[in-house]
Amino acid sequence: MSQRPSQWRVLLETQWTWTRGILLLGSIVAFTVPLVSLETAAGAADAASAKEVAFIGTMQAWSIGYALTAAGIGLLIAIAAWSYDHRLRHVYALSLPIARWRYVLQRYTAGLALLALPTLALLAGAELAAHSAAVPATLHAYPLALTLRFAFATLVAYSIFFGISSATARTAGYVLGVIALIIIAQVVLSSAGSGVNVIGRVSDIVFATPGVLAVFSGRWTLIDV
Amino acid sequence: MSLAIETRDLRYRPGNGFQISNLSMHVPRGALYGFLGPNGAGKTTTIRLLLGLLPAQAGRITVLGQTMPAEHVAVMSRTGYVPERPHVYPTLTVDEALRLHAAYHDRWDGAWAAELLRQFGLVGDRKVGALSKGETGKLMMLLALAQQPELLVLDEPTDGLDPVVRRDVLEALLEYVSTHQATVLISSHLVHELERICDWIAVMDRGAMIAELPMQEFKAGIKRLSVYNAPDQLTDVPFTVLRRTSFNGSGEQWLVRGWTDDMRDFFPAAGSTLREVIDLDLEDGFVELLRSFREVK
Repeated sequence: MSQRPSQWRVLLETQWTWTRGILLLGSIVAFTVPLVSLETAAGAADAASAKEVAFIGTMQAWSIGYALTAAGIGLLIAIAAWSYDHRLRHVYALSLPIARWRYVLQRYTAGLALLALPTLALLAGAELAAHSAAVPATLHAYPLALTLRFAFATLVAYSIFFGISSATARTAGYVLGVIALIIIAQVVLSSAGSGVNVIGRVSDIVFATPGVLAVFSGRWTLIDV
Repeated sequence: MSLAIETRDLRYRPGNGFQISNLSMHVPRGALYGFLGPNGAGKTTTIRLLLGLLPAQAGRITVLGQTMPAEHVAVMSRTGYVPERPHVYPTLTVDEALRLHAAYHDRWDGAWAAELLRQFGLVGDRKVGALSKGETGKLMMLLALAQQPELLVLDEPTDGLDPVVRRDVLEALLEYVSTHQATVLISSHLVHELERICDWIAVMDRGAMIAELPMQEFKAGIKRLSVYNAPDQLTDVPFTVLRRTSFNGSGEQWLVRGWTDDMRDFFPAAGSTLREVIDLDLEDGFVELLRSFREVK
């Protein structure tokens, strides 16, 4: 206790304490998804005549698995970064002799550092899958590209949810309110017999148009041509 | 007189009917300043305003010569704060809480923190959330003291603690104050505790400061007088009459403020007789002061 530890390091330690369960689970899932996707793709290819098409099609079906894993990890780590400050009404953080923006930055970067664990787990899983499974000769494995995409998607999800959860409960309420309005509008329109797909249009705008959120859509595949 | 804390015309209205209006406060440097008031008087809100945890809507706050909340970082590096409710992350162990606090305070005294840990009987590897109320109170005081502040702001630091723990905590506080000449602002319901340790006293009620003066002056100036044949209308009274109550026909009891012994001459001149001057302790004075303030309001 004689030597003062660095502020960032102790914040990293506190966030590790709060998120190690999430990180462990997230890392297991991230490690497993490439292995399972390749296993199922190999099975599908064995049973098909056009092996490459079946292989890639099955691999692509797992895109949602990668996107959900990245979004889920980003969401949970971001919420955990602020949960105890919210519970204690930020009294401890606000009474520390540090500018608020610096404290927020320290919390953000500490969480960011922790996201390296599931990302490395995904890389390990992807490398292991790429080297252990029988892939049709015309196809190639892209473990590093997949990992980079996963890292970016995790970063995007973490940043968005960190921003929301670091704000006041009122701000978080506004965000949830907008989401609730979209869902209510969809329910009302559907029950009125309208064919308008509000949720689909909103998700097209958010995820399909060029922008950082587009990382969650499209093809996430370890094996490709 | 050099001031550690000064507020001028402070105003804060959270929107629930309660408000702090035109609050002016003067905490002398080196003072042990007791901050009294009933529940809901606005003591905790005032403390949060002083430390920049809440934004004042008007007024000026100076703490240790620096403007709040603009110079929040500089002020908080010189101020130890024990809030009303525990504010340390409950998932951390005591040692981790100390490490976290040490990282943010340049003047952290690790050796003394270890000594206080031993003195308070706290176990380093226990979770903060698993500590008893008394242990949590000790930990909060430890954190505030080991950062070696010039100013300690303590919001009900001994509330709910048993007498033994309370004594330990106050002893550590007084030892620190005597060796470091620190200023202490201590809010408490425990009037006798403040009477024992404080040299200044402030009384707050319904968001307003109703008294702020040296303890001796407060205790010496508030008396209960037994007066006979007093006129209904008083003129040229040299002290403040807070309350008059009749007893025994022509007898009255007066609660007065600003009394000194040379004021006895007032009574013969007014055609009345002063039979007795009764000293009030801080609690009596506090209660009577609140009553008279509420009657006037």
